[in-house]
Amino acid sequence: MNTLGTRENVRDQLVALVPRLRRFARNLARNQHDADDVVQVALERALENLAQWRSDARLDSWLFKIVRNAWIDEVRSRMRRNKVFVAEEAGAEVGTDTMERATDIMSVQSAMARLPEDQRVAVSLVLVEGLPYKEAADVLGIPIGTLTSRLARARAALQTSLEAEG
Amino acid sequence: MTISDETLMAFADGELDSATSAAVAAAMREDPDIERRVAQHRALRAKLQAAYAAELDEATPDRLLAAARGTPGLRKVAGRTRWQPTRWQPLVSMAASLLIGVGLGYFVQHRASSPMIENAGGGLVASGTLAKALSNQLASERIASAPVQIGLSFVAKSGEFCRAFTMTAAASPAGVACRRANDWQIRVLAQPSDGVGGESAAAYRTAGSALSPVILDAVQQQIAGEPLDQSAEIAARQQGWRPSRR
Repeated sequence: MNTLGTRENVRDQLVALVPRLRRFARNLARNQHDADDVVQVALERALENLAQWRSDARLDSWLFKIVRNAWIDEVRSRMRRNKVFVAEEAGAEVGTDTMERATDIMSVQSAMARLPEDQRVAVSLVLVEGLPYKEAADVLGIPIGTLTSRLARARAALQTSLEAEG
Repeated sequence: MTISDETLMAFADGELDSATSAAVAAAMREDPDIERRVAQHRALRAKLQAAYAAELDEATPDRLLAAARGTPGLRKVAGRTRWQPTRWQPLVSMAASLLIGVGLGYFVQHRASSPMIENAGGGLVASGTLAKALSNQLASERIASAPVQIGLSFVAKSGEFCRAFTMTAAASPAGVACRRANDWQIRVLAQPSDGVGGESAAAYRTAGSALSPVILDAVQQQIAGEPLDQSAEIAARQQGWRPSRR
């Protein structure tokens, strides 16, 4: 149930969530500008569709899902418009950005950037954002078994690339 | 005892039910290899969290705060009219290309009011950087890095000097301002999402091209005579953008 009071409270919660949404979107888009655009679209959609949010559900999971859907829409519309998908440039941007960070952060993030998207998203939700497996599986709309196997493959790959560098 | 890597991972992530969890904990005590693998999973989790922790401390852009708060956006001030081709079309096309060129840099714009625009006595007036640019910057001075770009200047049917502008700051719209007394009154303010619904990222992406017809309509509605050329702009600037006696 969403009374007016609850909705005001949801806005505060949304404001508090923005940094995590940006971080998640950045792991999806691998480019800060695209990430922020997607977060903005997601926030607007969330407020428009607040009635659909069950207040017993986690707000963060609901928002992660909207962010991801907004990103999928964005990728599809770019493909429709025949634009070259920017992953490669964006990858370079991640590299530049992380150059300024400490070396271990850099190697973790570049190892992440090398993961296939489905694995990167799983890691991002579970290990970075700290969602339980079930919540993360719901966000992605996949069975929990699929999530755990992606996660296991991703971890093995991360481990390997971090050991290779370290 | 053999334990799958997925089970060890779930153990490290705190995802196992208590019985399985107890079994893994017991196995860890007996088998240093299992212990090492669990430690590896935990270390990787900690590494990832550490690697991304700093991102939470970054300042949140205003447009996202406004979106999260659902801050009601500025609406276009003037009514929107339908585009009708006229003898001004060539001019307008030229202006469109200028405005689109600037507009393409925008993508998503937030809808909260911009500090470059103030609410004054029921109307909007330019302030700060925008007001300065409107008073001082020539349309021919197109500096890509400038926060405000002047698309074109013209004399309105009312006799006032008006200028179409765009703002490159991420949070800002485009519009037409006319000089009245000591203010630049905002006559039109176009949100990039005007006319494209704003329901998807795709709509925002085409914002640059959606932007210009609104502005150009307004110019077309209001313009009297030709747009100012550079020397006419300089003359208008010298007279403080006050209407000439004719």
